[in-house]
Formats: sequence, structure tokens, C-alpha cells
Amino acid sequence: MRKLKINIESLSKNFGEKKVLNKLNLKIYESESLAIIGESGSGKSVLTKCIDGLMNYDDGKISFNEIPDICKLSFQNKNKYMAKFGILFQNAALLDSLTVKENLTFASKNNDFLEILNDIALPKSILKEFPSNLSIGVQKRVGLARAVLQNPEILILDEPTTGLDPIVAKQINLLIKKLVMKNKITTITVTHDMNSVYEYSDYTAFIKNGKISWYGKSNEIKKKANPVLKKFINGIV
Amino acid sequence: MNKFSSRFSEIIYKIGKIFFDIFSSVGEIIIFFLDCFKYSFLDKFYLKIFSQQLIKIGYNSLPVVGLTSIFTGMVLALQSYTGFSRFSAESAIPNVVVLSITRELAPVLAGLMVAGRSGAAIAAEIGTMKVTEQIDALKTLSTNPYNYLFIPRILAGIISLPFLVFIGDIIGVFGGYLICTKVLNFNPVVYLQNTYNFVQFLDVFSGLVKACVFGFIITFMGCYHGYNAKGGAQGVGLSTTYSVVSSSILILLTNYILTSLFFDL
Repeated sequence: MRKLKINIESLSKNFGEKKVLNKLNLKIYESESLAIIGESGSGKSVLTKCIDGLMNYDDGKISFNEIPDICKLSFQNKNKYMAKFGILFQNAALLDSLTVKENLTFASKNNDFLEILNDIALPKSILKEFPSNLSIGVQKRVGLARAVLQNPEILILDEPTTGLDPIVAKQINLLIKKLVMKNKITTITVTHDMNSVYEYSDYTAFIKNGKISWYGKSNEIKKKANPVLKKFINGIV
Repeated sequence: MNKFSSRFSEIIYKIGKIFFDIFSSVGEIIIFFLDCFKYSFLDKFYLKIFSQQLIKIGYNSLPVVGLTSIFTGMVLALQSYTGFSRFSAESAIPNVVVLSITRELAPVLAGLMVAGRSGAAIAAEIGTMKVTEQIDALKTLSTNPYNYLFIPRILAGIISLPFLVFIGDIIGVFGGYLICTKVLNFNPVVYLQNTYNFVQFLDVFSGLVKACVFGFIITFMGCYHGYNAKGGAQGVGLSTTYSVVSSSILILLTNYILTSLFFDL
């Protein structure tokens, strides 16, 4: 029996004249891994920013467990709500004035960062380094470790493999799979990378024109995809 | 007629938009100020960040403020001599130097220098953090960016600027002393005695009050424009420019207001 975690109803978000999200509906269930795919600029990252409370939406509502509408939370409660999320940002977003160790222990509820470091296959020597000295692949691993160290209820991964070479992308996908399976965290992954979808996501939602145009099990994408989604996954112009 | 009326409404729209933009910017700045004020009492104070900013804004600005002050004092002494020697009032040079430096030149020039140096650095740093999502990351790490980024910087600016200006006062007066005693052959003891006897507490104090206000303006505008940076590198560049330009204009404007307030005392 799937337990509903987040319910998104008629969500709309505009930037000036541009409608990025247009009455979007989506349900996210506990301990499941959902992949959100879609063309660049289709509103995938905006949707996750609305979900985690970093961005306010114009219309509709997002309910989270017993919270009926996260947009109506007070400042203090919003902070508590945001602390439920662990986020791997598109460019890792490590605090560049802090070392890797300081980034990992920053506001962390979990002090077992050495264990996580082991999970993400990085040596201890990296702890003293500053993010600017690391490659983007390593930064993303550290960002992933930082997100997991927060013991989040929901893990959001914003394009975890974008900009990485195929080998590092594969390594990151395997790491995420390992962490997701080990910790059983509800995961939302925004991605263009179909390998990420097939590797570790249970369900997939395809966004087109600010709406969910396809939703289903990730292992059924190839069989049940609609023509627009087929074009997307096969890279047909 | 239709063409005329559409042209007319277009002009009215443009004028209205200019006023709307100005008022919305002022409103945003006021909201940002109120938020900074509110969170300074509500949330955690980051002493380590505050100390780091004291060093960055205060200590690291000493060379540029010192150099500006000494050369200003030297030039002031030379220019005053040119004017005063025409009516044999050379003895007033120490008084003019100390008064100009403490009341006006040290606070304003230090303010402008720090705006160019530290204000720009604050806007660039916070702007980069904004466009690379580091500020979003802070929020999800249960950290209020107002308390972590803005309040330590603003407090450091308010506290360090008066110290910089006080040191600038001493160096500026020393610059005038150097020129008068080494180039213009003034008696060193008489010069120092004239300076000491003439300067009043209010002269120095008014300069230090100005420095506090300028310190606030510089750091506040740096934080505000950095936090509102949009886009990529170009957005960060623009925020830096806005920060320096708005700080400089506000420094000159508030300098006049504060001078006129102290003028009556």
C-alpha cells in the first residue's frame, strides 16, 4: 500500500508573462524514488523549488503529510519544513568559503560524516580541501553526502549527472542508488539523463508545457510512453 | 488622432513605470532593512563570521585608507599654504588641516574607499552565492542567510569604519604636519600645539558618527545588491556596480545631511 507524502494540486507558477507551471497535479509517495524529466526550461527545477519551499507558487497548493498547504506556513514553520529536505543542487552549491569537512558538518544532525565519505568513495584527505579545488564530479558527491547527512525525509537531486562525463555520471548514479536503497529515503530526481531514470527511480513524471504529460513506472517507460515522451527519451528532434 | 493618443499613453506609461520602479526599489530596500533588523534579535549570532568581517572590512582596508589620508593631508597643507600665504595667514594651516580632515575628508574619503573595496567585495561574494544557489543551500541547511551573511557584515561595517576614520584622522593630520615642517619650514612644536589647542571633541566625534553611518550604508548596500543579483556573471557584475554607485551617492547625500545637523551644534 503506497502512502501519500506530497500532494500537488493545480500548481501554477508564472515568471512575468511566462507560465512555467500550469495547473500541475502530481502525487509523491513515501519511500519511493520519483524522476522528473522534461525539456530544458520545462519547469522541473521550479517544481522542486516550490516543493521544498524555496520558491512561492502563484496558485494551487502543495500538501505535505499533515500540512495542508505549505505556502501558508509561518516563517518559523517554513524553516522547520525546509529542514525536512536534503538537496543536491545542480552545481552542488557547496559553500565555497568552507572546507569539505565544514560543508559536511554544517548544520548537520548526523556526525557520521566519515561513514558517508566512505559511501561516496572519497578519501579522508579531501576533508581539508576547499570546493574550488575539486572537480564538479567530486563536488557533486560531497553535495550528495551533505544532503544525506541531514537525515532528510525527502531527498531532492537536481540534475545530479549533468555536466559529468559518462563514467563519473555512472558512478554518481550507482552512489545514489546505493544511498537511496540503504536509507529508504523518498527521492525526487530532476534529470535529463535517462540512465538515472532506469538506474534508481521507481516512478517517472514527464513535464511538458507546465503539466505532467506522462506518469508511470520507470521500467514501463519504453512500453507505455506517449509519442512526445518517446521523442524525448529517444532524442528525436 | 489615434496615433497621437497612443503616443501620449505610451509616454504616460513610461513615466509611470519609472516612478513605479523607483518606489518598488525603495520598498524592497525598506523591507530588506526591516528583515535584517528583525532577524538580528530573533536568530543566532555568528561571532566567527563577524570577527572575519571585522578583519576583512576594517583591518584589510587600513592601507588604502591610510594612503588616502596621508596624501589628502599633504595636499591640503600645500593648497592651504598657497591661499593663506596671500594674506599672511599661514599660521591657520594646522587648524584648517585638522578641521577638514576630522570633520569631512577622513570620513568621506574612507567611506568612498571602503565602498569601492569592501562594498564591492561583499556584493560580489553574496551575488555569486545567490547565482550559484549557495544561499538556497543555506536555507535548506536550517540557516537564516540574514543571520549568517548580512547581519555580521553590517555590524562589522558599523564598528570598523569609525576605527578606520580615527586612524585616518591621525594619519591625515600627520601628512599635513610632514609637509608643513619639512617643506614649508613650520616649527614642529608650534604646529602640533596649534593643532591640539584648536581641535575640539565635537570635530572628531562628528566624523566618527558619520563613519558609523557610512559603514552601515556600504555594507547594507553590498548585501542588498548581492542578494538581489540575478542571472550569472553579468548579474554579479551589475550588483557590484550598483552597490558601489548607490553607496557612493548615499555617502555624499548623508554626509551633507549629517554636516548640516552638526553645523547647528
